[in-house]
Amino acid sequence: MPNSNFFSTTYAVARNAFREAVRDRVLYNLIVFVLLLTAAAIFLGELTAGQEARVVTDLGLSATLIFGVFIAIFVGVSLVWKELEKRTVYSLLSKPVSRTNFILGKYLGFCVTLLFNTLVMGVVITLALLYVGGAKYIAGVWPAIYLIFLEMTIITGVAIMFSSFSTPALSALLTFFVFVIGHFSSSLRDLAQSMGSDAALVFFNIVYYLLPNFSNFAVISNAAIGQHPPASMLGFATLYAVVYDVILLTITAVIFKRRNFK
Amino acid sequence: MKGRSLIKDVILPIAIIIAGFAVLSPLSDLVAARKPVVPESYNDTDLFVKGRELKGFVLGTESLVADWYWMRSLQYIGDKVVNSKEDLRLDDLRNLNPRLLYPLLDSATDLDPHFIAPYAYGAMVLPAIDGNQAIAIANKGIASNPNEWRLYQQLGYIYWRLKMYDEAAKVYEAGSKIPGSAAFMKLMAASMKTEGGSRSTARAIYTQMIADAEDEQTRNTAKRLLDQINSMDDVDALNNALAEYKQTSGHCVNELRELEPILLKTTLPAGRDFSVDAQGRIVDPSGAPYGLDRTACTATTPRRPQ
Repeated sequence: MPNSNFFSTTYAVARNAFREAVRDRVLYNLIVFVLLLTAAAIFLGELTAGQEARVVTDLGLSATLIFGVFIAIFVGVSLVWKELEKRTVYSLLSKPVSRTNFILGKYLGFCVTLLFNTLVMGVVITLALLYVGGAKYIAGVWPAIYLIFLEMTIITGVAIMFSSFSTPALSALLTFFVFVIGHFSSSLRDLAQSMGSDAALVFFNIVYYLLPNFSNFAVISNAAIGQHPPASMLGFATLYAVVYDVILLTITAVIFKRRNFK
Repeated sequence: MKGRSLIKDVILPIAIIIAGFAVLSPLSDLVAARKPVVPESYNDTDLFVKGRELKGFVLGTESLVADWYWMRSLQYIGDKVVNSKEDLRLDDLRNLNPRLLYPLLDSATDLDPHFIAPYAYGAMVLPAIDGNQAIAIANKGIASNPNEWRLYQQLGYIYWRLKMYDEAAKVYEAGSKIPGSAAFMKLMAASMKTEGGSRSTARAIYTQMIADAEDEQTRNTAKRLLDQINSMDDVDALNNALAEYKQTSGHCVNELRELEPILLKTTLPAGRDFSVDAQGRIVDPSGAPYGLDRTACTATTPRRPQ
């Protein structure tokens, strides 16, 4: 059973990981996002035949997902790699910090960065919706923002897992593949069923059950028509993300513990 | 100590991973079951950004966005056909309510007026939805591509489908004057005036369309329509044979295959022969067996979705 020292050490690593992300200007993407949404809210009226609120919802949530995923992938893969490359991991691990502390702290610190990022984006979308008179969409936007954040925590976990044994470029590529396949996995399984090939069915079932099913977190279309998911769905989605994150961090910790830093 | 390390470093992580994956599948199903369903009408919501409004705002990628509208139009109709619960009639698709097809094709061709495939697809499908929209998209194609004789062929086809044979003849005639146009255009100009509504004209039109089509969707639709005409010829021939059999024997056949001696002497249009499946049943061009209405002593076309 982890003692209180484990938690305080993990907290210290997490706090430093958050500070590091801020120092690395990760949050500068928010400026681009604010500009994008401001421009969309002002100019879309001319282009969208009275559907500004819907387009702001679609554009805002899609941009939140895309910006977030790219940050999760590219910053996520460098979290561990940078410490190894700069050799700062040696001084860190020579202190009473275990490798599990290190991985968990880095992950949690970066998740807080992502949470802050998505919260600000959610506020910007809300303000843009108020500006274009789409207040009724706001109730659907916040659950969607929350689910996007959950998706990003899984993507960060995948990125850290790959980066614990691979190069940053390959890790980024593999994580991106997981993101794409995760959004298609249920459709691919349906396609395999309609193909009638046993081999394809087995293969896509394995893909479906092993890779994260990101379609569970995709409610942008619902938000764009003013629908919002029930609390039970949000609860189960949270549980799903937590379980998946635990699996990924366990695998990462096991690999990282066995890694030789020489 | 060693045993404790084995549990902590090997057994516990493996147990967490296995238990985690065991929980994920039912959890995923629970989330999916609670996810709100987007209403069916969502796909028919008016386009909120039309092609002409995007022109000049897409950083020179108009052609790519036109491709997107074009693919979206194919998926839109495809989804409607796949999800249709009724038997489809290719000559009247209004019950599918495909209200976005024209705006999608219009947007694709606004962004890239020289993109021929949307005009061809519109000519093939829109007459079964709204004749005026079909004429509008074909005229738009001719205005942007006056030297493309196939667009005249498509507009002629639309007029023919709408039984406007004089207009069809004029369009085929105009198209036949374009350098490089097929000889078929001149033939059509003549036959529209004399036998516009005949089945042989329809067969000629669809055969030519199958040969000329540059995209798979147009070719498949033309092939299905040609199959429909062939099927009508089959039913006519079967009914003639049934009448002949009844006249000689005084009763109707129990099965269509009993007509075989008469059918062997029958000649179908375009030199076709009857098709028979592995069970010896007479089948239509898609392989579905014809039925027999013994009360009326007539052959019936197979009922199936297209």
